[in-house]
Amino acid sequence: MNIKDFINRAKNRSKSKIWIMTFGALLGLAILATLNTVSSYTSTDKYCMSCHVHPWAEETWKLSSHHNNRTGVTIHCVECHLPPQGEGYLLAKVKHGAKDVYGKLFKDSAKINWEAKKMLENAKGFTYEASCIKCHQNLFPVTLSVNGSNAHLAYINTKEDPKPNCINCHLNVGHFDKNVKHEHNTNFGVDAAASKELFTAATKVDKFANFTEKIPGTTVAFDMVAIPEGTFNMGSSDDEQLRKPDEGPVRKVKLSKFWMGKVEVSWNEYLAFFQATGSQGRTEGQVIKNKNVDAITGPTPPWGAPDQGWGKGSKPAITMSWRAANTYCQWLTKVTGKKYRLPTEAEWEYACRGNTTTPYFFKGDPKQFTSKGIFKKIFGRDTTTISSYIVYTENSFSKTKDPLEMKENPFGLKNMAGNVAEFCSDYYAPDTYSKRRREIINPIGPQSGQEHVIRGGSFKSDAKDVRSAARDFTKTKAWLVTDPQMPKSVWWYSDCIDNGFRVVCEADSVQ
Amino acid sequence: MYNERFKNNTMKNESKNINRRKFLGVGVLAGITVAGAGAIFSSCKKEITNEALGLPPILKGAPKGRKLRAGLVGCGNRGTGAAINFISAGPDLEIIALADVFQDKVDGCRERFAGFKMPIPAENCFTGFDAYKKLMAIPEIDVVILATPPQFRPEHFLEAVTNKKHVFLEKPVCVDPVGARLMIATAKKAEALGLCVVTGTQRRHQEDYIETYKQVANGAIGKLTSAKAFWNQEHVWFRTREEGWNDMEYMIRNWNNFCWLCGDHILDTHVHNIDVINWFMGKYPEKAVGYGGRARRVTGDQYDFFSIDFDYGNGVSSHSMCRQVDSCANGTGEIINGTEGYTNCVNTIWNLDGTVKWQFEYPKDENGNPMNQLKIPAYVQEHMHLVYAIRTGKYVNEAERTALSTLTAIMGRTAAYTGQQVTWDAIMKSDMDLGPTKIEFGPVDMVFETPVPGTPVNV
Repeated sequence: MNIKDFINRAKNRSKSKIWIMTFGALLGLAILATLNTVSSYTSTDKYCMSCHVHPWAEETWKLSSHHNNRTGVTIHCVECHLPPQGEGYLLAKVKHGAKDVYGKLFKDSAKINWEAKKMLENAKGFTYEASCIKCHQNLFPVTLSVNGSNAHLAYINTKEDPKPNCINCHLNVGHFDKNVKHEHNTNFGVDAAASKELFTAATKVDKFANFTEKIPGTTVAFDMVAIPEGTFNMGSSDDEQLRKPDEGPVRKVKLSKFWMGKVEVSWNEYLAFFQATGSQGRTEGQVIKNKNVDAITGPTPPWGAPDQGWGKGSKPAITMSWRAANTYCQWLTKVTGKKYRLPTEAEWEYACRGNTTTPYFFKGDPKQFTSKGIFKKIFGRDTTTISSYIVYTENSFSKTKDPLEMKENPFGLKNMAGNVAEFCSDYYAPDTYSKRRREIINPIGPQSGQEHVIRGGSFKSDAKDVRSAARDFTKTKAWLVTDPQMPKSVWWYSDCIDNGFRVVCEADSVQ
Repeated sequence: MYNERFKNNTMKNESKNINRRKFLGVGVLAGITVAGAGAIFSSCKKEITNEALGLPPILKGAPKGRKLRAGLVGCGNRGTGAAINFISAGPDLEIIALADVFQDKVDGCRERFAGFKMPIPAENCFTGFDAYKKLMAIPEIDVVILATPPQFRPEHFLEAVTNKKHVFLEKPVCVDPVGARLMIATAKKAEALGLCVVTGTQRRHQEDYIETYKQVANGAIGKLTSAKAFWNQEHVWFRTREEGWNDMEYMIRNWNNFCWLCGDHILDTHVHNIDVINWFMGKYPEKAVGYGGRARRVTGDQYDFFSIDFDYGNGVSSHSMCRQVDSCANGTGEIINGTEGYTNCVNTIWNLDGTVKWQFEYPKDENGNPMNQLKIPAYVQEHMHLVYAIRTGKYVNEAERTALSTLTAIMGRTAAYTGQQVTWDAIMKSDMDLGPTKIEFGPVDMVFETPVPGTPVNV
């Protein structure tokens, strides 16, 4: 092969190539320029708001510190809701854009659960931490308070998950929310009604039947339901839809009779405890070791609004720690003279099932109710039955509900599943059921452990997680990730808003 | 080493048979390489290597530059000494203001400076618990020297940085974890503002320690396996209460003997050794177990001796001991053992068989005999470094690492006081906050029991 020929031919070819390449380059530039214009245009606040018509978006942004501040600098939609340029900006723009277009064309804005979208976990999906940090480069400005410094030290020193995100603490800086308090709430629970007559004694109970307990020294009363003794199959079998392995193997459990709270412990009940035992100004982490001291030490003042601004009263109390719930039971035992405690996991499931053996204590299949899966999302399904019994992701609007709105289970209990998840006294282990498989009586969980069982799912849960057999557990580290105190609170979870508890009263402690 | 490698590269390139266009490129490249090699070579004996290892420059004096005016907060012995060290560090350095809780301390310091023909104007001298605030409000002051008992250091540091002053901090820098966190956060604020901070951990500014550190960092004793740090000395000073002193005045005049003011001697003096071990180890211990006690003291609430095992992880421990009792086997220093030898951290490296592997060469005196110390005391060297950093823009901020070494000592102290194992994580997050809530003259409602480790068994 003649090398010179080859080179000449290549040269001729490359001459015509130059023209093509020049044309291509110009065309490319033109396209880029157009794209750039399009990209810029579609990144203006005006353009964003032409679709995002939900009323609060623009209004709350204008009230927030990212629009209304001393510096006069305005932070625009895409500066928070897209990553910085060059850090996946275009990709994220296409992703969110496609979603927005789909929503605009096929969804009814009025039916979208905007409240849920505002919540932390969801907000993390469309608020970019890299964008926060791009502007907020100095985490230690000279004006930062000591509390702020401690919080930022914790932020930069947390190297492993769960890592705090900027918006864990600064959730409302882009969209103002008048209900959010960023301070120690020293007046929390102090303003309860005082005009009513106070109960002077606890209810006297002489037979095993439903009764209404009265908390002495308060105006608070609550219903206790008598749960008969019985035997049931605990857990779910392999063929139950959408089950998890820790729910098996099914085991036969025999339980003595007990009373159980008809509803989850309400704010009224919990605040009675808070007012009676809470210690203003006491620091965190002081553990009273001497068991002979008969005074019960209760919660410290919470940070912000533990009720999330949803209202207190008969709504279930939330955000208290397992330890706080357990202390509540000790206090209730002391003031009523009856033995109150958290339910065991077995008691909880027995009470929830109310002698049913199906996935729910009413008719229906998990696959029929779940919202997982694309077809379910598009075509919807009939959830009338489940919605009358359970407060879960589909009907909750991301808040707790008053128990009045819901129907009872076969034992006459409300909100066993859904509304708020409930603490049990047992430690959690995934293999609890496989440890002892023959018929067992009044079982309790593992001797020791890190986290406790929680049951029932919450207003955030999918239908599959409010099944009677579904198990879950506390996540202490993640639920305290943004608590700025050192050490962190032992009484309040800073990052869990859908957990509460229900009490049981031991039958033989009365008769 | 650098020189050889770069020379080889350049030689290889030049020996190639190359055309003109290529030559240009290579020429430029070679030029850059040679220039780069030159830069590294010409300075690799001092600055570059020191900087790369995070070491301060060894200076004969602070460089010339704009006049720096300093204010002294805490006019006792060390404070007055630090102020004199500061003005000895280089040209155009002045002390123009004094602050102390007590009038007699301010007067004594002012007399010393008048004796040097460097009078300090009376209107710039302040007394009382808020004296430091008045001093830091003086706009002409560029640098503040903080030398009060360590209890007050964190709030003084914060006030200094808020007023945008460069800072010299005497060690230790706090007495409890709350103070340590405030120091760290304030250090970060200072960094954001470009304010220089040097601390009085003078071993880190001593040429002999620095050269020994370089040897160890370059592998002279192999991997580090264990350490020992000790500050065992005779009893230290104390003040007997005089008539007319209220509780607060008595405690502050006798501050060296109260834990809430001093942090106990495991902080006050032994922190030097602890800091050296942290420095050589390149990390902070994960946990501490230890003990201590009180046998000879006649005043205050502190211990006479501590013996702490600091666990650095992976089987590496440092035995830290400190004692203030007369007529005992006393001495101070550090020993670090490695897989290939050991060192006293200050000037000598031994092989495993005990033969000397390397020794620091001290300067010679007028008769040509090697001295056993450096010409420039480390007390002055550290101020030279501060002035050098401010005047050349070579930023320095040692506050965080000294806070962390102080916190290490607090971890050890807590382990001894309680008898418990104390982890780094726990002490870092602890809300321990010593001292009364309100600092003012008068009676103080505090109980001063000497800590007793462990809880007795309940019968």
